[in-house]
Amino acid sequence: MIGGAGLVDVELANPIDTFAGAGGEESAREFGTLGYSIRATKPR
Amino acid sequence: MTEILELVDLDQLRKEVREKYREVAADPTGTYHFHTGRAHALRLGYPASPLDQLPDDACEAFAGVGNPFYWGGPKPGERVVDLGSGAGMDSFLAALWTGSKGSVIGVDMTPEMIDRSQTMSAKHGFENVEFRQGLIEELPVEDGWADVVISNGVINLCPDKIGVYREIFRILRPGGRMTVADICLERPVPEEALRDIDLWTG
Repeated sequence: MIGGAGLVDVELANPIDTFAGAGGEESAREFGTLGYSIRATKPR
Repeated sequence: MTEILELVDLDQLRKEVREKYREVAADPTGTYHFHTGRAHALRLGYPASPLDQLPDDACEAFAGVGNPFYWGGPKPGERVVDLGSGAGMDSFLAALWTGSKGSVIGVDMTPEMIDRSQTMSAKHGFENVEFRQGLIEELPVEDGWADVVISNGVINLCPDKIGVYREIFRILRPGGRMTVADICLERPVPEEALRDIDLWTG
């Protein structure tokens, strides 16, 4: 999807269980929800 | 993506997202389905410095889901756009990195968050940060303005994600970069769950 917008060098990193211990933990677990750092570049 | 847009009542979703974050702006230390505040940012991996340069009231309504600065912060003099800037913590951090020769624009659709971030900006003397009310699918920023686009936990709230990424492409200069944080789901979401706006916001 990100590449479809024209951005390149897409990278995902640093998965984190962002909802652990929060009220949204149950639904996050249901769908395997994790927070990620995402980067991409606009070509020159 | 077209399918998701057909499943969701976009106006209702935006209304409920605004209501949720209006609550956070008014009561940042309340109980929500997500964590908030400085301790949460540190748990997500935010660098202790320059986070330690921000006053507590500039951090307490932070509600991100990951670390958009995992690869480092903006460089001195760069121009940054913060998508869904909320209470402004990431914009303020970006402003500390860019310094006075850089500029930061935060964009958020919730008026109470814009009010809060503008109040914090004035209170703490951030002269290189501006907050604009608007949708991240229709960014109020000119073409090619930004060196860097940041965001944290907001793109997932937009059904038209490809539209958001096209807007990011539009406002970035050639060679500019996006460093955002957001949630990704490891399992497919059934259609009835996609229709459930409560699940989008909580």
